[in-house]
Amino acid sequence: MSEFSTEEMTLNMGPQHPSTHGVLRFIIRADGEVMREAIPDVGYLHRSIEKIAEKVGYHGFMPYTDRVDYVCAMFTNQGWGMACEKLGNIEVPKRGEYCRVIAAEFNRLASHLLSVGSMAMDIGANTPFTHAIREREMINDLLEELCGARLTFNYMRIGGVAWDLPPGYREKALAYLDHLEPILDEYDSLISYNKIYVKRLANIGIISAQEAIDYNLVGPNLRGSGVKWDIRKDIPYSVYNEFEFDVPVGKGEWGTVGDSMDRYMVRMREMRESCKILRQALTKIPDGAVLAKVPRNFKPPAGECQIRIESGRGDMGWYAVSDGSGYPWRVHVRTGSFAAMGIINKLSRGLMIADLVTLIASLDVIAPEIDR
Amino acid sequence: MGAVGSYFGDIKDAVTSIFEGMAVTASHFMRKPYTVQYPDRMPIRVQDTLPFRYRGILEVDLEICTGCLACERACPIDCIAIAVEKDKQTKQMIISQFDIDIAKCMYCGLCSEPCPTGSIHHTTEFEGADFSLESLIRRFIKEPIAAYKPKKGPETDPSIIPILNRGMTYVDEWAQPGGAKPAAEEEPA
Amino acid sequence: MQQWADSLIAAGTFGHNPPRDLIYVLFIFVFSAVVFLGVAFPFAGIVSWVERRVWARIQSRVGPNRVGPNGFLQWLADGVKNVCKEDLVPAQADARLFKLAPYLVVLAFVVPWTVMPFSSDLILADLNVGILFMTAVTALTVVGVLMAGWSSNDKWSLIGGVRSAAQIVSYEIPAGLSIFPVVLMTGTLSMQGIIRGQGWAPNQWFAFANPFTFLAVNILFISSLAEGNRTPFDLPEADSELVAGFATEYSGMRYLFFFMAEWGNLFIIGAIITTLYLGGWQFPHVTDDRIVMNVLQVITFNVKVLFLVFVSMWIRATLPRVRIDQLMSLCWKYFIPISFVDMVGTAVWVAIWPDGNPMAGYVMLALFCALLILFVRRIVYYFRRAKMEMYLSPVV
Repeated sequence: MSEFSTEEMTLNMGPQHPSTHGVLRFIIRADGEVMREAIPDVGYLHRSIEKIAEKVGYHGFMPYTDRVDYVCAMFTNQGWGMACEKLGNIEVPKRGEYCRVIAAEFNRLASHLLSVGSMAMDIGANTPFTHAIREREMINDLLEELCGARLTFNYMRIGGVAWDLPPGYREKALAYLDHLEPILDEYDSLISYNKIYVKRLANIGIISAQEAIDYNLVGPNLRGSGVKWDIRKDIPYSVYNEFEFDVPVGKGEWGTVGDSMDRYMVRMREMRESCKILRQALTKIPDGAVLAKVPRNFKPPAGECQIRIESGRGDMGWYAVSDGSGYPWRVHVRTGSFAAMGIINKLSRGLMIADLVTLIASLDVIAPEIDR
Repeated sequence: MGAVGSYFGDIKDAVTSIFEGMAVTASHFMRKPYTVQYPDRMPIRVQDTLPFRYRGILEVDLEICTGCLACERACPIDCIAIAVEKDKQTKQMIISQFDIDIAKCMYCGLCSEPCPTGSIHHTTEFEGADFSLESLIRRFIKEPIAAYKPKKGPETDPSIIPILNRGMTYVDEWAQPGGAKPAAEEEPA
Repeated sequence: MQQWADSLIAAGTFGHNPPRDLIYVLFIFVFSAVVFLGVAFPFAGIVSWVERRVWARIQSRVGPNRVGPNGFLQWLADGVKNVCKEDLVPAQADARLFKLAPYLVVLAFVVPWTVMPFSSDLILADLNVGILFMTAVTALTVVGVLMAGWSSNDKWSLIGGVRSAAQIVSYEIPAGLSIFPVVLMTGTLSMQGIIRGQGWAPNQWFAFANPFTFLAVNILFISSLAEGNRTPFDLPEADSELVAGFATEYSGMRYLFFFMAEWGNLFIIGAIITTLYLGGWQFPHVTDDRIVMNVLQVITFNVKVLFLVFVSMWIRATLPRVRIDQLMSLCWKYFIPISFVDMVGTAVWVAIWPDGNPMAGYVMLALFCALLILFVRRIVYYFRRAKMEMYLSPVV
């Protein structure tokens, strides 16, 4: 019986696609359903944000940082604020730091809700997506009360935050957290333990711990492979060392350590940890100012600084070089999604086309973050 | 026995997890949808439900604009164009142009932050869609007016008092650097 | 139908010595038109609206509710919009096959309506191989889908079409095998015969006649979902991967034909299961008036079928998709052995109790009610935990 002669297909999972989490293109070489290789092609969302910083100055760059990663806008704000503060030796008042933590953890909740929701949608279940978005809308309502916008917050400033917590905010936020935790459990029963979902996610895209470190993965991608590394605990910044929380790590209960199910479960558990942090922050917040005095034309001394924060997608690095003038010389952002692009090609060999979608969703890739 | 056990275990897992999932979705049939049926089936306008800090379309209260150009300097996108000059005879600042291009504006709030009287502020309007790009340049000045000079004590002109109050309330929402004013926080818990 | 035509000819309605064949053809056209155009197509349209509203409630939102009273005319608006769209045939596509494919798929959806038993008298053609005919014709979708996938000149459509063909052909087997227990119990393949073999009370339905048929109903339902390309088996039209699978290159009314066939298939799935396992149109004999009895039977049949349609929509909203190789392994490794067990088990059962065992009916019905109560308790548990108010009205 002679072998079938088969040809390899080259498919284009184009920049417009319902489930590539943004404008992202993959060139797939496939033998029927099984892929030989999936080559990512990035750059469709490049907006030269880092170059724009050199034109608008330190204060004016803050709204642009929202657009670097719009689902984690608070974190990007915080990163740029911290970079400027380090350059200019400014200390943020305690209450300002607490406000930052509250805003950031709410944003982490929103980001993870979107991530698990769209992951479920990519696998085929539309209902968990709408439920997650509904919860995210409630968070957006809270953040809208805080800073006036629902997506591109521009909440933080160099030296603190722009608005204090409005009256009655603590009660509303705590009520929301009470509402959210049973919904997370319900979400679990609906989709996380569903046999079909588990079979779609377990043992897909297994990243070993050493591989994850080699490929520079960060955040839930790294923790899903068993590596317990969280900037909030290991290189504490802001006031995170005053809170008690756990760092969930993938244990491979459903398949192998480091598969897509692990990354998904790490995100679900991180949401619960964020709720813990939020409760502590909302009750322990001290009085005082929220914004330090920073001159309008901010001219930090020449030098460079590097900041690492734990954003929704992992370790986000901000690097800024100042030349003593009112405009930064160079700004660079290092995002987790860009690193995740590197490993997709290697992981995709031998996977089926349906699994590529699962893989991208489990790595929580957000396209604007890749290209800035 | 392992293979047979896992075979039936798979079937049992599938049935129980799908059972649970269906129960969750069935419980949703009895709940009210979360949708807000904008714009026609709402008891009040959406614009009136938005919080005071909402960063909608910009508006300028020219009665209290001091012509300090702080907003024009702060805007990162240069969407505000103001022309102010000192009138030789009356020694007053005359504002002859105040244009905001709301198509360029990214609603960041950096312009309303440094305004001393709160004359440029965000409103809760968000419906700005229009048919031409030119109509998105809001020109607030019809004929040149004198800039507002804030008085040393409380304001005395009755037509300006409400506008100034509203403006200062807006300004007070912003955090004061270095704790110049105590935070307006709710207490006790 | 034929008897009615004969009786009318004998009564002289068409004059002396009419050409019989022409009269038959006339009857066929008129009544087929009534059933197809008056029932099948509107049903396919309306069910699209119902599906969107049901989905929306499950997803905490409101479905279409602006066009017409509560959005009821949404499907008409969609139909009109699609008819007005540009007729696109991709440049290098095989035009003849491309244009033919939707019609084959619709054919596969429309023809089974000829043997649909709405009531004891209302059936277009009571073939004595009724159920076999239905299963055979619904398999025509494979040809249509493969044609669509191939002729689109698009690799993604090809993948979708081939997946769908493999899926439908594989799931024919458990579906067919799950029909056998009923055939063994009644000894006939005719739709009316099978229904007449059941009673109106739930314990007299074949679903609860013995534990093997209880399993067989479920296998039949799931396999029919797979045949109809419904979630959790809708990988061929996976909208998060292949945009619309085999129908990616289609636009306008041709696209809608595919989906009309899918929605209409829901009714056929429901009809097959109702006829075979859920007692069909059986209604207790409350009156001797033939017309009233027929109306009650039509209502019973429709209620049962629509309930199953509702369950398909509910499943579609809840479950994620099964990957193609998992789908295949599910069919060949799980469903087919279970269907074989069902078939053999029913054969043994029929050998032991040739006239049926009423006790088993009560036992199985009790088991089913216990499961149902358990389910309702879980629903109430989730509802209470969410701490939201009850809002039962379908209108928002």
